[in-house]
Amino acid sequence: MWHIIKREIYNNLNSLRFALTTVLLLALMITNAVRHIREHPKRVQKYHDAVTASMNLLTSRAEDSLYTLAHEGPGTLYKKPSPLHFCAASGEALLPDRVDTPHGSRGFWRLEYPDVNINMKNVGPDVSQIDWTFIIGYILSLIALLFTFDAISSEREHGTLRLTLANAIPRHTVLIGKFLGALVSITIPFMLAMLVNLLMISSASEVHLNTEAWGRLGIILFIALLYTCLFLALGLLVSARVQRSAVSLVILLLTWVTFVAFMPSTLAALASGFSSSMSQHEYSHRYGQNYHTFRRTWRHAWYQSNDEKMLRIRGEWHTQIAVSGERLAGEYLTFKITQVQRARAITSISPAALLQHLFEAFAGIGLDRYQQFTENAQRYAREYREFVVDMERGDPESRHIMGVRQGMSQKPVNPEAVPKFEDTLNLGQDFNTVAIELLLLTLFVVVLLAGAYLAFVRVEI
Amino acid sequence: MFLTLVRRELLDNLMTFRFAAAVVIMLLLVVANTVVLIKDYELRLADYNTAVKTHRQELREINKTYSDGMLGVWGTMILDRPPNPLSIFNTGLDKRLGNKIKVSHTFVPTIWDANKYEADNAYFNILTSIDIVLIFQGILSLLALTFAYDAIAGEYEHGTLRLVLSNSIGRGYVLVAKYIGAMVCLLVPLLMSLLLALILLTTSTTVSLDTDDFLRIGGIVFTSFIYLSLFYLIGMFISAITRRTSTALILSLFVWAFLVLVYPNMILTAVDTVPRTDTKTAAYNQIKQVWEELERKREQFLRNDPIPGESWSLGLDFSLSFDDNPSRLVYHTDIAGALETIDEKSEPLVPHAQNLFRFLGPLTVSTAERVWLIRKPAFEEIYVQPANRGRILLKFSPAGLYDAATEAWAGTDFNGTRDFFIAAQRYRQAIVNYFHDEKIFASRQWFSSDQGAVDWDTLPQFSFQRSDISINAKRALPDLFLLLTMNVFLFIAIFLVFIKSEV
Repeated sequence: MWHIIKREIYNNLNSLRFALTTVLLLALMITNAVRHIREHPKRVQKYHDAVTASMNLLTSRAEDSLYTLAHEGPGTLYKKPSPLHFCAASGEALLPDRVDTPHGSRGFWRLEYPDVNINMKNVGPDVSQIDWTFIIGYILSLIALLFTFDAISSEREHGTLRLTLANAIPRHTVLIGKFLGALVSITIPFMLAMLVNLLMISSASEVHLNTEAWGRLGIILFIALLYTCLFLALGLLVSARVQRSAVSLVILLLTWVTFVAFMPSTLAALASGFSSSMSQHEYSHRYGQNYHTFRRTWRHAWYQSNDEKMLRIRGEWHTQIAVSGERLAGEYLTFKITQVQRARAITSISPAALLQHLFEAFAGIGLDRYQQFTENAQRYAREYREFVVDMERGDPESRHIMGVRQGMSQKPVNPEAVPKFEDTLNLGQDFNTVAIELLLLTLFVVVLLAGAYLAFVRVEI
Repeated sequence: MFLTLVRRELLDNLMTFRFAAAVVIMLLLVVANTVVLIKDYELRLADYNTAVKTHRQELREINKTYSDGMLGVWGTMILDRPPNPLSIFNTGLDKRLGNKIKVSHTFVPTIWDANKYEADNAYFNILTSIDIVLIFQGILSLLALTFAYDAIAGEYEHGTLRLVLSNSIGRGYVLVAKYIGAMVCLLVPLLMSLLLALILLTTSTTVSLDTDDFLRIGGIVFTSFIYLSLFYLIGMFISAITRRTSTALILSLFVWAFLVLVYPNMILTAVDTVPRTDTKTAAYNQIKQVWEELERKREQFLRNDPIPGESWSLGLDFSLSFDDNPSRLVYHTDIAGALETIDEKSEPLVPHAQNLFRFLGPLTVSTAERVWLIRKPAFEEIYVQPANRGRILLKFSPAGLYDAATEAWAGTDFNGTRDFFIAAQRYRQAIVNYFHDEKIFASRQWFSSDQGAVDWDTLPQFSFQRSDISINAKRALPDLFLLLTMNVFLFIAIFLVFIKSEV
């Protein structure tokens, strides 16, 4: 078996496709790294500036009074940019990077989710960026097919397969040998290009990859290898079934074009075109209705009286409006994201879509990450409100009426004690969200390998 | 003999598995995507129709005075950009750029002032979209290469080339015969899928195509044919120089991957083509200065006004319309009035107001035009130049040329989309001229509707026709010409290689 693997590797290393693969992958990975080194520091700087501005606002509010803190809120919350932006960049520019915390002149602050940034000013051509998803999803998969399309069929054409099998070697050993040989010879240029890429990125002083990022990169690498195995197995399967290598390549190419290049967008478009959604109009309508319901219930709140009962009613009104408005906005956001995720789930038949989903999840980018970020923000909002309630209880001079200036503590708060928003990534949660995709990808590989085995065992030579 | 050769090539290609597979895949993808694209177009058209209706209605219901229609916050005069039915073939910029624009005498409208209708779920934009040209661009080129890689190398390997050439036929004829045979075969999936797409288009009740549109589609088909031919010739060239099918196959696939997949994305990742926003501040300051000059003149006029000590509201219930947005290079200010009644006490003020507006209206218009002279080069520098740089770099790949040419045919390229905004600018000019001619600025209805509301129907009406087919052709021609030249060069190269090669 080692003999077969060695022969395969030597054969491949000397071939034209190996040289071309190396050049192509190196060029792509270097472009990717250069772009990341150029863009990432700007992103990080922007994030830090924004967070600092937010923190200053929070400090000044805390130094003013507890009421200001409760009324105006913690300031805009920002999403931390992922250090693994080079793994999956597409779609990231569209997603908002913050959660707003607006407040009215009297009403309380609440979380509000900004809309998707659609760039309608850029009149330039529309292209996808070169990220790892592109390099591995499109290029490496194509190369994997090029390495295996003639693995069995050409040996049969040349008659060398008969010679090999005339020795006392079981067929599955030959197949596994071919598979591993192809895997190793494709991994060599890939690893080389990837190492150059990572070396460039990690040696740039402005970009910092921490231990967690390296761990995530390890997982991403594993997924990339799994994905390559899928296409190698597919190549072997078709190569074993088909008599001529030219036919085998045509079948493989057409499969590739359909499943990798066009299936994701076609299916997504189909799914999104035929799902109805709650329109913006309907949402605004529901929001307005909600407001008016409260208005009817708490009509008295508008009297400018300062007696305790009126204050309580007014406080209740402010609190309820903030709470229900925030809940409605949250529900609307979840609804929209779920709708897109459902459309995206249908594209999981395509391995390239699976790969993109997995990469996005583990690189901490994309829709799932955005949802995680909004959940973090919601958790923080709860924590922040609990803190305000606690501080309010601790002030003996206050009248303890939440929601109105006259009823709340006017004392300044120590800015250090106020909880700060920390946007964190959670690897365990990422695993949970994409467990099914990971399983599906593995399943594809196993099925295709088993198919290749069966096809090869039954084939006549 | 020549015809025999062509017939042989044709039959050889038609009977292959790759031909059947190609037809099936093309038909499947094109039909599935056309259905989706038509639905998408219908939705956009419905959005457009409702928007036109509501904007019309709002203008008439809310705005009773001229200045309110030009400057107000609600229900002002808004033009809507209709979706282009040919965006089904190549989406281009049609979907991305804004589709409603305000008309006002205070600024000259551009693409960058336009806004978009609110989408129900904008998160769907994360999913990649696709159009028919993209399918052709990917699959046709791949098909052409799979047809071409063994055209010469295969015959050489089998020794049939020697047999053919032993007849009294020139080598050039053999090449031409091969080319014709393969191109006819490749045209079958192209035309069949287009035919199905057209059938779907014509059965849809909302998509209406006129003669010009069919000619434009013809242009797209012709460009597709040239693109297809180019890739076939690339494959043939590789086949002629390598002379081994396996090498030719691998090499052509790498060439395909590089030209279609890698190069367009890589070059735009490496070279920055995002708008350059750092030059905005200088232009914005200039614009602000021009408007501040107008404000000074206005104050001076008010000081010399017979009613001393009055502010711009003149004691009437005027409002200051003010827009200041450095990121959009917008700064303008004007006085608007939407009075419904004028009581007797205020009646003596009306001539003063009319005087003010008689002075202010033309001044605002000329200021807007002066600002336009600053904005135009600024936008050019910020948005258009980086975009053009990207486009030029893309033209080094046939895929980029093909995309640019079909966009130009469909009218969804930058020029085609800009046509609407140029029409909007012309319409604004017509409105302004009308205001001048009818002395609207000095009229009572400019700020007050107490003696009757404005009849908006008497104003010049806006109509927009997509550019003429000849203009589309003119825009597509440079790219088409480049593609054609590449074809000719490659054919000559193949001929030279083939002539000199030993059989």
